[in-house]
Amino acid sequence: MTDILRIKDLKVEFVLPHMRVKAVENVSFRIGAQETVALVGESGSGKSTISQAIMGLLPKSAQITKGSIIFADPKKPGTRVDLAMLDRSGAEMRAIRGGRISMIFQEPMSSLSPLHTIGDQICEAVRLHRKVGRAEANELAIEMLTLIGFPQPKRALKTYPFELSGGLRQRAMIAMAMVCRPALLVADEPTTALDVTIQAQILRLIKEVQSELQMSVLLITHDLGVVANMADRMVVVYDGRVVEAGKTDDVFINPGHAYTRSLLAAVPHFNMGPDERLRPLREIKPKTGSLFSESNQTDGTRDAPEIPPSLALHPAMASEPVLAVRHLSKSFSTRKGNWIKSEERLVPAVDDVSITVNRGECVGLVGESGCGKTTLSKLIMRAMEPDTGSILFRGESGQMTELTGLDEDQLNPYRKRIQFVFQDPFGSLNPRMTVQDIIAEPMIIHGVGDSAYRKQMVLELMDLVGLDPRFLSRYPHSFSGGQRQRIGIARALSLKPDLLIFDEPTSALDVSVQAQILNLLKDLQRNLNLTYLFISHNLAVVDYIADRIAVMCAGRIVESAPREQLFKNPVHPYTQALLNAVPFADLDHLLDFDKIVDGKASDPARWPAPFTINDTSAPKMMQFAEDHFVRAERADFTEVAI
Amino acid sequence: MLTYLARRLFVMVPTLIMISVLVFVIIQLPPGDFLSTYLNELQAQGEAVDPAKIEFLKRQYGLDQPIYVQYVEWAWGLLHGDLGFSFEYNLPVTDVVGDRLWLSMVLNFSTVIFIYIVSFPIGIYSATRQYSWGDYGFTLLGFLGLAMPNFLFALILLYYANVIFGTSIGGLMDPEFINQGWSFAKIMSVAEHLWAPVVVIGTSGTASMIRRLRANLLDELSKQYVVTAHAKGLSPTKVLFKYPLRMALNPFIADIGNILPQVVSGSVLVSVVMSLPTTGPMLLAALQSQDMYLAGSFLMFLALLTVVGMFISDVLLAWLDPRIRLQGGVMK
Repeated sequence: MTDILRIKDLKVEFVLPHMRVKAVENVSFRIGAQETVALVGESGSGKSTISQAIMGLLPKSAQITKGSIIFADPKKPGTRVDLAMLDRSGAEMRAIRGGRISMIFQEPMSSLSPLHTIGDQICEAVRLHRKVGRAEANELAIEMLTLIGFPQPKRALKTYPFELSGGLRQRAMIAMAMVCRPALLVADEPTTALDVTIQAQILRLIKEVQSELQMSVLLITHDLGVVANMADRMVVVYDGRVVEAGKTDDVFINPGHAYTRSLLAAVPHFNMGPDERLRPLREIKPKTGSLFSESNQTDGTRDAPEIPPSLALHPAMASEPVLAVRHLSKSFSTRKGNWIKSEERLVPAVDDVSITVNRGECVGLVGESGCGKTTLSKLIMRAMEPDTGSILFRGESGQMTELTGLDEDQLNPYRKRIQFVFQDPFGSLNPRMTVQDIIAEPMIIHGVGDSAYRKQMVLELMDLVGLDPRFLSRYPHSFSGGQRQRIGIARALSLKPDLLIFDEPTSALDVSVQAQILNLLKDLQRNLNLTYLFISHNLAVVDYIADRIAVMCAGRIVESAPREQLFKNPVHPYTQALLNAVPFADLDHLLDFDKIVDGKASDPARWPAPFTINDTSAPKMMQFAEDHFVRAERADFTEVAI
Repeated sequence: MLTYLARRLFVMVPTLIMISVLVFVIIQLPPGDFLSTYLNELQAQGEAVDPAKIEFLKRQYGLDQPIYVQYVEWAWGLLHGDLGFSFEYNLPVTDVVGDRLWLSMVLNFSTVIFIYIVSFPIGIYSATRQYSWGDYGFTLLGFLGLAMPNFLFALILLYYANVIFGTSIGGLMDPEFINQGWSFAKIMSVAEHLWAPVVVIGTSGTASMIRRLRANLLDELSKQYVVTAHAKGLSPTKVLFKYPLRMALNPFIADIGNILPQVVSGSVLVSVVMSLPTTGPMLLAALQSQDMYLAGSFLMFLALLTVVGMFISDVLLAWLDPRIRLQGGVMK
């Protein structure tokens, strides 16, 4: 097999006014004809720099100081071009870039110009590299859009990117990259910003187009699940160097380098045993101090950081509900038209949602973007007012209290009992406050303890989340993403809440850091008998941490069941589609691309009976098995009031 | 699109009515009116004032009527192109203003065009060659332009033009053409004199626009879609002009509505210093002597410029940016 691309001993440095920073060194690998090679690494590993070097898109300050990138164009047999030597914006490089080597990017929204139509942007690529007229370019664009699976390719030419969904935008991006039929496609995290079902569709599409056009793919990703399903060979990058390279099967089964091993161990995989633990690169050992143990009646487990994982979560404790949400609904109204004649349209964001969280358990809430899971969390926090329904919460008195009718003053004592950890570790901490101030702030707001108590508490919280108390006077910018998320967790714990709500707490983090945070959350829950509502789009993560899982789609909960039950026996078509679409980093559970259906999965009107939801039928939650509920119309299940 | 235009035009009507009420009220706010100011002046000069004459004048000018009647008459006149009567000059406002209005417009539009022509290439250069010597040089010049008051710049220019070249760059035309009818020679004379006030008035606007274009363009240059365009194999210049520059244009177009009245009112001091026959100095005098119809007409003119400018920029934005055109609707 001839190689399309051969990178040898590549070294890229950033030349700054006072120093040179090496981004990539000693990188060598090759990409064969029609082969998919995955470049795997965490953020900052240098994998994007390698792709930019191939494309000649390195930032101005970056220089290739050593090595070669030999491109052998199969269309011109025998010619070899060293891309590292070419002038980045010269004519020769520009002819290859976009013509023979194309690239797709992570963010489908920002990668396309919002001011130009899809047709304009695709035809531009055609006309740059082929001598064709406007009409012919249009033809080629339509042909490519059809191949990519656009519903109405002709109309699509005249649409603007913002009129399309995320999945369609990425398809348009792919069409633009493919339209010149390149020999090599560089795909930089092509599905990271997409929902799982869309991700599966796009991955399938890339595979199909690849065999159709007979091209090679360089897939840059941090997601080992995607690698397992897509790549023939993989190259693992760490700190700007290649630490391991080989056939995907070989590397997965028998990883040679310690980093690869730990990366594989850090990914939550399918059906992990209840005692199985993720192994992050660096484990955090939470230490509970006196203030925390004081309030905790669950003895035996406290003060003992190293508890065998088998003691995790006794189901016996999961009896008393802390939070009970009943038939909660919330709609947003959009206004279209002018102020003389305006149309109000109600868009339901949360529709008839009921969910119960018992003391000491972790309930996972899974759904794709826009399904209403964040709105639901905001309703529970009473950051938004629900339209109908009730939120019952067990206060300090032990009585269930209705939260929906309370005004701000009455609500205040309950605010203390429910705390929130946000998705974005950068945006959720005030950059002008020290860690000490950030963690102590909730206690000050609620007037908890005196300053000595707060000081002691902050110290204990730092211990609890595994941060050095010497960091207390630092500001958030000096911490990494994972450390910031731990500060957020410490802040949420400072009031000793009864319920913690996590909204995608690990989705902005690398896998190894994610494993660290997930383990920390598990340990904290066990040691302090905490109650979690864990919101995520990542089924594997929820599978790892949650005891019960509720699946949400289009504002409704469609299925809820204990963890093993849901994964073993999913009943609802949406749950099944979701499970089918998750790429697990496990060669024994590869994606079945034939089962992936386009777009139908998340449209309630297109679910088969008895699950269909449309104008005429509004199914309710039915009991399917013990503790296993499904939203369905009838029959096979018995209806129970929940 | 048509309904959008119609709606925008329709909204202008109540806006202008509101402004006219405000203008009228503000002019009337100081105690007294033009006549009392005038009488005081006469009395101060020791001249006898005949009460009958005052009554006659009051009736003549309609000053004995209640304020709202005065307003309605004035507004009604405006609608018919009758700008009212200037007390001070004893002439219809139209005659008083005369050429001044046109000269102001010529001066100010030239200034706006000057600002755009100078600031665009420099802004693009500064953004694409950030932190180069050229960028630093233009930045320095820009800040000088921003920091120096216009009238001071005018004075300096006047002084050096006189000392070095021995010419006077004041005025908008050679003295022999003042109060003459329009002729080709007069137009040429205006063109000759125009550059000095245009440069003086335009510097600060140019400076701030360079800074803004540079900042906007720098923001856009680092966006992902620019990388995409490069990845297609487009040449750098084409990329720059087709994508980021077009995105960076939005704030400028949105600014047209502001820039028109700003340039008109901002040039008052310079006009006084350089004795330009524009509307600025006259507005100042009219406000001082409470010559209410004259002042009112000027202010309405400014308001009209603002509203029309806003309309133009809205239409242009909707035309240029599909997101504005197609993404109607408000989320509540």
